[in-house]
Amino acid sequence: MAGEQVEKRVKYKSSVKDPGTPGFLRIKEGMLLFVPNDPKSDSKLKVQTQNITQKFTKEGSNKPPWLNLTIKQLLGRSHIFEFENYPDMHACRDFITALGKSDEEPKKAAVLTSTEQLSIKELEIRFKLLRENSELQRLHKQFVESKVLTEDEFWATRKKLLGKDSIRKSKQQLGLKSMMVSGIKPSTDGRTNRVTFNLTPEIIFQIFAEKPAVRQAFINYVPSKMTEKDFWTKYFRAEYLYSTKNTAVAAAEAAEDEELAVFLKPDEILARETRQKIRRVDPTLDMEADEGDDYSHLMDHGIQRDGTMDVVEPQNDQFKRSLLQDLNRHAAVVLEGRSIDVDSEDTRIVAEALTRVKQVSKGDGETTKDANQERLERMSRVAGMEDLQAPQNFPLAPLSIKDPRDYFESQQGNVVNVPGVAKGLKRNVHEAYGLLKESIVEIRATGLSDPLIKPEVSFEVFSSLTRTISTAKNIIGKNPRECFLDRLPKSTKDEVLHHWTSIQELPRHFWSSYPITTPYLHTKVGKLKDAMSNTYSKLDAMKESVQSDLRHQVSLLVRPMQQALDAAFQHYEADLQRRTAKSSGGERPNGYV
Amino acid sequence: MIFKIEDVTVYFPYDNIYPEQYEYMVELKRTLDAKGHCLLEMPTGTGKTIALLSLITSYRLSRPDSPIKLVYCTRTVHEMEKTLAELKVLHDYQVLHLGTQAKILAIGLSSRKNLCVNTKVLAAENRDSVDAACRKRTASWVRALSTEKPNIELCDYFENYEKAAENALLPPGVYTLEDLRAFGKNRGWCPYFLARHMVQFANVIVYSYQYLLDPKVAGIISKELQKESVVVFDEAHNIDNVCIEALSVSVRRVTLEGANRNLNKINHEIDRFKANDAGRLLAEYNRLVEGLALRGDLSGGDQWLANPALPHDILKEAVPGNIRRAEHFVHVLRRLLQYLGVRLDTENVEKESPVSFVSSLNSQAGIEQKTLKFCYDRLQSLMLTLEITDTDEFLPIQTVCDFATLVGTYARGFSIIIEPYDERMPHIPDPILQLSCHDASLAIKPVFDRFQSVVITSGTLSPIDLYPRLLSFTPVVSRSFKMSMTRDCICPMVLTRGSDQLPVSTKFDMRSDPGVVRNYGKLLVEMVSIVPDGVVCFFVSYSYMDGIIATWNETGILKEIMQQKLVFIETQDVVETTLALDNYRRACDCGRGAVFFSVARGKVAEGIDFDRHYGRLVVMYGVPFQYTLSKILLARLEYLRDTFQIKEGDFLTFDALRQAAQCVGRVIRSKADYGMMIFADKRYSRHDKRSKLPGWILSHLRDAHLNLSTDMAIHIAREFLRKMAQPYDKTGTMGRKTLLTQEDLEKMAETAVQDMAY
Repeated sequence: MAGEQVEKRVKYKSSVKDPGTPGFLRIKEGMLLFVPNDPKSDSKLKVQTQNITQKFTKEGSNKPPWLNLTIKQLLGRSHIFEFENYPDMHACRDFITALGKSDEEPKKAAVLTSTEQLSIKELEIRFKLLRENSELQRLHKQFVESKVLTEDEFWATRKKLLGKDSIRKSKQQLGLKSMMVSGIKPSTDGRTNRVTFNLTPEIIFQIFAEKPAVRQAFINYVPSKMTEKDFWTKYFRAEYLYSTKNTAVAAAEAAEDEELAVFLKPDEILARETRQKIRRVDPTLDMEADEGDDYSHLMDHGIQRDGTMDVVEPQNDQFKRSLLQDLNRHAAVVLEGRSIDVDSEDTRIVAEALTRVKQVSKGDGETTKDANQERLERMSRVAGMEDLQAPQNFPLAPLSIKDPRDYFESQQGNVVNVPGVAKGLKRNVHEAYGLLKESIVEIRATGLSDPLIKPEVSFEVFSSLTRTISTAKNIIGKNPRECFLDRLPKSTKDEVLHHWTSIQELPRHFWSSYPITTPYLHTKVGKLKDAMSNTYSKLDAMKESVQSDLRHQVSLLVRPMQQALDAAFQHYEADLQRRTAKSSGGERPNGYV
Repeated sequence: MIFKIEDVTVYFPYDNIYPEQYEYMVELKRTLDAKGHCLLEMPTGTGKTIALLSLITSYRLSRPDSPIKLVYCTRTVHEMEKTLAELKVLHDYQVLHLGTQAKILAIGLSSRKNLCVNTKVLAAENRDSVDAACRKRTASWVRALSTEKPNIELCDYFENYEKAAENALLPPGVYTLEDLRAFGKNRGWCPYFLARHMVQFANVIVYSYQYLLDPKVAGIISKELQKESVVVFDEAHNIDNVCIEALSVSVRRVTLEGANRNLNKINHEIDRFKANDAGRLLAEYNRLVEGLALRGDLSGGDQWLANPALPHDILKEAVPGNIRRAEHFVHVLRRLLQYLGVRLDTENVEKESPVSFVSSLNSQAGIEQKTLKFCYDRLQSLMLTLEITDTDEFLPIQTVCDFATLVGTYARGFSIIIEPYDERMPHIPDPILQLSCHDASLAIKPVFDRFQSVVITSGTLSPIDLYPRLLSFTPVVSRSFKMSMTRDCICPMVLTRGSDQLPVSTKFDMRSDPGVVRNYGKLLVEMVSIVPDGVVCFFVSYSYMDGIIATWNETGILKEIMQQKLVFIETQDVVETTLALDNYRRACDCGRGAVFFSVARGKVAEGIDFDRHYGRLVVMYGVPFQYTLSKILLARLEYLRDTFQIKEGDFLTFDALRQAAQCVGRVIRSKADYGMMIFADKRYSRHDKRSKLPGWILSHLRDAHLNLSTDMAIHIAREFLRKMAQPYDKTGTMGRKTLLTQEDLEKMAETAVQDMAY
C-alpha cells in the first residue's frame, strides 16, 4: 500500500451549512490532505487517518455526494467533503476503509506505482504548481487523469520546476498575512451556547509570535499539566474576557485560576523585549529620549486640564489591554516575518523553535556596536538634502535584456518559454529535422545503441519547434501586440496553444521511453502513441474548421507540430517493424523485450 | 559651494542651493548685523536648518575678533539629533575648505537619562529616579562620607571626571548624544557633567527649549551664556504654549499628601541634625541672612533646579526672617498646605487672580507675599543642608514651593482655577488647583533681554504678525517666504463629502455619526489601495481615534485596510509609539507599505517627519480645535482679548489650523519629494478657516479641490501620483529657477553690484 493514494476534486465544508471550499483531497497512507484551490484560503487541512469513522450520503438520495469523516483523536471534529460524483466518493471511501485494515495486510509490492515515498512537502509543491499554472493543470488533467501518463512520469520531466521551487523557498520565506488573529471569529451552531474555534498552524504561529507569554505557558503546561485542547480553551476564555472589557470579572477569574491569570496578565517577556528594542531605535525618532529630557512636565507642572490633553483612563489596571496595542504588536510581528524554518504540525516544536530564535536575537543584542555604527551612517546619509547634491551613485546591476520582445514574451506568462534562444543555436527547422532523420537512419543502420537518440538532437527538435511557434506569433504582425494569434477566434487560439503544449509534453515522454527495455515502457509507448495520433487528428480537424483566410497561417502554425508528431510516428513504426522482425527471428538480445 | 553674501563668505555643503534658502540667509545676516531679533517663516522641505547653520557658522568665521555663539533650541531630542547630523555634514565641509581654523565645538545637551553611561544608574525606571540615583553617587557629601565608609557606592565615571578636573575637555568636533556617550565611556568620564561643563566653551549648543525657557532648568544650564549669542528657536510655531506651560503649576490632593509626608521626613532630618551636627543648620542660617547670592558657592554637581522666579533682585534680597530657621520654614509650609487643602475642598469651580489669592492667604494663614516668593529657594537651601539625595521622593513639596513662589512673584498674567472634577468626567471627584500662566511673554522675556539676537523660525508661523504680539517683542526682520516649486509636488485637497455625498466632519454633533465614521473609513480604504508606501492619518484627539478605530475594527474596515498595508498606531505609551514608528519606517523601507494613525497635538505630530516614502499621503481627519469648555482655555482667551485684543474665535481657529498645517506639513523634505494632503472635514471649505493655512499650502490648493467627495479625491490622487512618477528637470523650467548653482549666484551678485553702480 505504500505510496498508493487517491486524489479527487472536492469541496471542503467545515459544517453542513458551509458553502464549501473547492480544492483537492488527497488520501494516502496515514495522511489525509486537503489543499484548497485558492491559495489564500485558510481552510487547508491535514489530518492523520487513524481512527476515522465515516458517514456518507447514499447514491440515489437527493443529496449531493458527501463524505463525512470524523477523526476521533482530534476532538471529534468532523470534516465534510462534497465530491463531484458518486464514484469518486466511493473510491475515497473504499480507500479509507482499506487504509483502516492495511495495518494487518501484508504490503504488496506495487509494480506500476513508483515506490518513491512522496513527502507531504513535495505533494504540496506539486499542488501549488498546478494551482498556479492553469496550463499545467490542464495538461495534468488531460494526461494523468486519462491514464496516458502516471503521476510520477508527469512530474519526472518537471524535476527542475520542483527543484527550483524548493530552492526559491529556502531563499525567500513566505511572509505572514496582515490579517489579525483576533479576526478569527468562533463559529456557533446556533442552538447551544457552545462556540468552536478553528485553529490552524498559521494561527497558532501568530499567537505564539505575538504573545510570548502564551508561548511560554504552552511550553510549561502542555502536556504535563493540561492537554493541548484544555490549553486553547483556556486561552480563548481569556480572550473572551478581554473582549467583554469587564476588568472586574477578569480580575476575579484570574484570582481563582492561576493558569488563566497567565493569559490575562501583561506580558512580561514582551516588556523585556521592548526595553531591549528601544535601545536600538533610530535616534531621530526616539521619543522616549524626549520624555527623559522634558523638565517642564515634572510632576504637576505644566498645564493639566486645558483640553489639549485627553482624559486618560487609568492605565495601571493590569487586566486592561487595548486594541491599539494589539494592532501595533501584530504589525510588528508581521513585519518581522516568519523567523523560524519549522514547518511542523506539532505545536510544541513551533513554540520551542520560536523561543530559541528569540534567545539568539537577544544574544545579538550584545553586539550592538556594528548596528550602532550602521545606524549613525544611515542617519548622516539621510541628513543630506537629496536634490541639492550630486546624485549618489549606488551600485546598479545592469538590466540585460537583449531583445525586448523576449522580455515581454516571458512576462506574458508561461505559455511561451523560449529555451533555445539563450544557447544561440541558429539552426532552422529543416536542419533540425535533418539531424533527427539522420540519427534515425543511423539507428536503423546500426540497430539500437545507448543512448538511442543523441540528446542534442532531441533538444534541437524541441527548440526549433518552440521557436517556430513563438516567432509565428510575432512575425506575422509587425507589432507584437497585433500578433497573429490574436486574430484567431479565441477558442481556436486556445486550442492551438493547448495542442502546442501537449505536443511539447507527449513526444518528450515518447522519446524518453526509448530504448524500450521493459514491458512497462512498451505499454507506455503504446499509450503515448495513441494519445499523439489523437492529437494529430484533432489538429487536422482544427485546420479544416478555421476560416479560409486564416487557414494558411494556421496550417503554418500547425505544420511543425505535425512534423514533430510525424517524426515520432515514423520512429515508432520503424521500431515496431524492427522488433517484430527480430522477435520472429527468435533472437532476443539480452535485456531487450 | 562657497559664495558671498555682502561681506560674509558662506560655506554651504551642497553643490546647489534653493533661491529661498539664499534669501533666508540674506535676511538672517541682516538680523545678525542689526543685533536684533527676527521672525522667519519658511515652508518645510526647503532646508531651513542647514541654511541657518551654514550662515551663522560662516558669520562666525568672518568675524574672528568677536566670535558669536549659537544656541540652537529644538522641540525634541530627536530633532536635536537631526540638527547635529546636519551640522556634522556642514562642519566636515568647512574643515575641508578652511582647514583647522574652521573647527568648532558643537554639543547636544540633554538630561542624565539620555547621557548617563553608568549601567546601575540607567537601570532606574524614569528620569526622576535616574537623576536621584545619580545624585546618590555624586553629591559632595556622599563623596566626602565615602572616604570614611568605603562601602558607599560612587560613580566611577564621575570620580574620573573630577580627578581630571580642568583637563577634562572635549576636543573640537560635533557631538551628538551618542557621540558624547561613546566619548565618555572611552575616557571613563561622565558625559553628562562633561557636557554641562563644556557649555561655556562650546561654539554651538543644541538643546531643548526648556533649557532656556523653563526657569527651573534655565538657571543652572544657561546662566553662563554670554550676551553675544544667537538664540534660535526652530519649529517655533508652538512657542507660546511652551512658554505658558513652563510657568504653570497645579496642585492635587495627592500632591498635598505627598508634601505632608515630605515635611515629616524633613522634620525628622532636622531633629537628627540638631542632635548630631547643629553647626550645619547654624551655618545655613548665617548664609541666609547674607542673602541667596552666595548660592554660587555650592559646587556645580550639587545644584538642581534653580529659582523659577526670574527677577534678579531676588538674589540680592535677604531671605525674610520668619523662614530663616529650618523649623520655622517647615511650619510656614505646613500652614500653606493646610490652606491649600481647604481650598481644594470646593464644590464649585472657582477662578481667582493671584493678587486676591495672596491676600486671602495672608489673612487666613498669615503668610505674606514676600515669604511666598522665597519658598522655592529656601527649600533648595534646606535640602542641600540636610543632604537629601533622593530628590525624586521630594517632588511634591517642590511642586508646592514652585507654586508658592510663582504666586508670590507675578501679580498679572496668571489665574488660579480650582476645579472639583474634570468636567468630561463629572462622576469622578478629582479636585485640582491650577495656577495657569496666560502670558507667553513672561517666560521668554529674559531670553529677549539677555541675548543679542533671537531667531524664531518655523514652517508655519501664519499669521506672522500675531507672534510678536503674543511674545511681546519687536523683530527687526519679519518675513514669510514662499516656496518656489519645480513642479507641483504637493497636492492639498479638501474633502467635504463621502462617496454617498453625505458631509463629513468632526464637529461635535456629527463626529460619532455612523455615516461619518464609515465615510472616513472608506476614504482610507480606497486611498491605501492606490497610494504607495507610507500613509499617515491624524485624528483630532486620542479618544476620538480610539473610538473610530474600534468602530472600524467591528465593521471590518480595518481588515480591508490591513489587506493593503500594515497598521501602526500612536498610543499614549511613548515607548510603544517609538517602536511603532520604527516599525512603520521599516515597513515603508521594505516596500510593504504601512499606515500610521496619529493624533494632532500629539508627540508624533510635533516632531516626527514623514518625508519621502515615509509619507506620500497625509489625511487630517477633522479640525483639531482645542476643547473649548476648558476653564483654563477660557481664562486664557479672556486674557488675550483684554490684553492683545485678539478675538476668541480668531485665536481658536488660528490655533487649530496651525496644528493642522503642522501635521500635513511633514510630508515634504525637499523639492524632489512629493506628497498629498487631504483635509477631511467640510469646515475646511469655508474661507475663514482655510485662509489661516500657511501660504505655501494655500497656493497649491486649487479651487477645484475645495469641495471634493471621496471618489473625486481618489481620481485626483491617481492623476497626481502618475504625474509625480514622470522624470522632470530639477533646475526648474520656464525661466523660473528653483535650484541655483554657484554660477547663478555669482551672476546674481554681479547684477546687484551693477544695480548699485547705476
